[in-house]
Amino acid sequence: MVSMVMDFASCLRTGGQRISTSEVLDCVHHLELIDVLDESQFRAVLRSNFAKSRREQSRFDQTYNLFFHELHLNTNLAQIDSMADKTEEMLKMLNEQANDDPVKGAIIDFLSGRPRAFLGEIRQLETTDQDNSLAPKKFNLAPLTERLEILVGINRIRDMVREILETSPSAFGSQEKDQLYAHFNGRLESAFRILTHEPRPHNEGLRLIKAHEKHVGTLGQKAFSALTPQEIEEMRGVIDGLVRKLKDIVTLRYSRKSRGLLDVKKTLHLANRYNGIPVEIAFRKRPPRKAKIVTLCDVSSSVWSAARFMLGILYSLQDCFSKVKSFVFVSDLDEVTKIFEEHEVNYAIEKVLNEADIDYQASTDYGATFRQFRSEYMDILNHKTTLIIVGDARSNYFNPEAEILSEMREHCRRVIWLNPDPISTWYTGDSEMSTYRPYLNELRPCRNLNELISFIEDLVL
Amino acid sequence: MRSTRDSFFYEQDKEVTTAMRFKDIEDVKTRLENAGYICSDEIATVVFLAGATGKPVLVEGPAGVGKTELAKAVSKSLGIELIRLQCYEGLDESKALYEWEYAKQLLYTQMVKEKISLITQDTDTLSAAVDRIAAEEDAFFSERFIQPRPLLKAIMAEEKTTLLIDEVDKSDPEFEAFLLEILSDFQITIPEIGTKKAKSIPLVFLTSNNYRDMSDALKRRCIHLYIDYPERQIEIRIVEMKKPGISRRLSENLVDTIKRIRGLDLKKKPCISETLDWAESLVALQVEDLSEQVIGSTLNMICKYRSDTQMVQDNMARIIKSAG
Repeated sequence: MVSMVMDFASCLRTGGQRISTSEVLDCVHHLELIDVLDESQFRAVLRSNFAKSRREQSRFDQTYNLFFHELHLNTNLAQIDSMADKTEEMLKMLNEQANDDPVKGAIIDFLSGRPRAFLGEIRQLETTDQDNSLAPKKFNLAPLTERLEILVGINRIRDMVREILETSPSAFGSQEKDQLYAHFNGRLESAFRILTHEPRPHNEGLRLIKAHEKHVGTLGQKAFSALTPQEIEEMRGVIDGLVRKLKDIVTLRYSRKSRGLLDVKKTLHLANRYNGIPVEIAFRKRPPRKAKIVTLCDVSSSVWSAARFMLGILYSLQDCFSKVKSFVFVSDLDEVTKIFEEHEVNYAIEKVLNEADIDYQASTDYGATFRQFRSEYMDILNHKTTLIIVGDARSNYFNPEAEILSEMREHCRRVIWLNPDPISTWYTGDSEMSTYRPYLNELRPCRNLNELISFIEDLVL
Repeated sequence: MRSTRDSFFYEQDKEVTTAMRFKDIEDVKTRLENAGYICSDEIATVVFLAGATGKPVLVEGPAGVGKTELAKAVSKSLGIELIRLQCYEGLDESKALYEWEYAKQLLYTQMVKEKISLITQDTDTLSAAVDRIAAEEDAFFSERFIQPRPLLKAIMAEEKTTLLIDEVDKSDPEFEAFLLEILSDFQITIPEIGTKKAKSIPLVFLTSNNYRDMSDALKRRCIHLYIDYPERQIEIRIVEMKKPGISRRLSENLVDTIKRIRGLDLKKKPCISETLDWAESLVALQVEDLSEQVIGSTLNMICKYRSDTQMVQDNMARIIKSAG
């Protein structure tokens, strides 16, 4: 039992789940307390110990099914003594033919009921660090070609099984042959299924905001991309007003902190110095929570019009947050916090949109941006940061690198995605919105002024 | 670390009467049912494990599926006290753990001033007087001047308790880190007095609405439980238990309709309490059949946003059609 749990845990680990030794210990301890023959109980124990968030549950379910159903259902064949030898023999022959090819080796291991290596191969497909690998795998076709390699491996092994069964008439009886073939074929099928059906993490916690209040009339409804120069001027006025209002609220919070409630504890503490007479009066200080904000803003041509406003508002709101770090990207990333700090707003935005150290003509590549962010700036994210990503997630079919986004989420407090596209087009064409969606805390459209105001108010207040 | 805690747990808990713990998973189910909570196998298993091993349970799930209710039902079914700590942004130790009552301490010092001079009267030197007072230090720094808040209350309780830490995801990361000591060792360090160890391990439930992810360290110390919207059969049983007057046909119809409404892309999906409210109003209106008109006129019981109401009305045909 213990070794089975250990095997299962190591399979989950290969699948990218973090399971500590203490959790395995707890699990074994818990299994002693329940009726392990009742599957619903057994499953509940494993799940409550190994999948500790909703997002991990779908992968847990897949591995659980594989480990305790698909691989164990047809072990009856291997358990019949006479057949066990034959299966062993088959596996040995397959191994000889595989010539130490790691992919084939992994598949053969999988056939013999040890899925770890195979799961490892698949996991590697999703997480390979592209900068280190030799083959150029920038396009998201690349993982597909790697998948093909495994697919070919599976087919090759199927052929090998058939070949062995056909060419060695002496070793197996005809009925045994059928059984063996069915057994191996069944397992190859489930290997194939795992390869082609990646479980998507559940993400019920995602706040998807669609509705918004109407703050300003017709101007607020108009998409950023459809504004005339005159309207842009008008819009600036509205934004200035909004920013002033928000700043007032925040300052009010600041000035209130010095009045606040009387802090009895501190006052008495101070009074001790003066023989119990409260000469100095202390108030409870309540500094407003100042969130740290990191923004990644797509400034490629497709979201350019919205980015300008987003940057404008962020610039103005720097006072409301203790730290704002801003980045712009197309296919590479540059920090523009300094430009914002040193220049007047309109000038700064123009500068950011034209002179940052990135290639504005390149094709948008979210994956490359995330990779660069991970290698250079990951340390600026901590549990107080809110990460805001502005972009349409149209990544020109480059590898989306959703794994890095999930890593980033683990490092910060919340991840909010603002999408300047209309909702109806989010999941079409080269948009990776559906890939990124499971890793976000909040996803909202940001197409016009009304939506932008709703967001900012949510964020500041 | 685990083994020390377990042995500690075992010794401390030996005298807890059998009424205060669950015998097996079936026992959990029946007892919770008697307390008015119908649960699935998974919930029962986790509650049983929590009771048997003293590990805290981290409950996650959409709003209104009965996360808080579970903790209440458990405490009711075991007949033990429920201590509740509601988390929010800015919650700090003085609100969650204890507050030192300086005012009371000062007052006492004033009142016993004469006693102090009595103690120090036959000393010759100042340092001797200070030594005398130091010997009486315990009187100045004792539990008398502590105002216990929920966490300390749960730790100091003579009897086993249920501790509900509600919406832990709303609290700050600092508070979460602070919880770790309590959840793994069931002890609290008070600088003025020393370390307090739990007399009996409380049953701890933490609930989270997934506003943010909890840290790995916290998750590692807990048993995880995800409660989803209940399955059809269970929800029907819940409706029938809470609203005894309802007919089987209506309750089935109602639950199926709610299920379909949950399938829509709503801002806030109707939860169990909304199902119950709706059932109650339908019984009050003496409705037996869910027609389009009935649903339309009672929609404000289930949908709390105007856009949601609109969406349900737009999809009425689908909701009704499959009902027939």
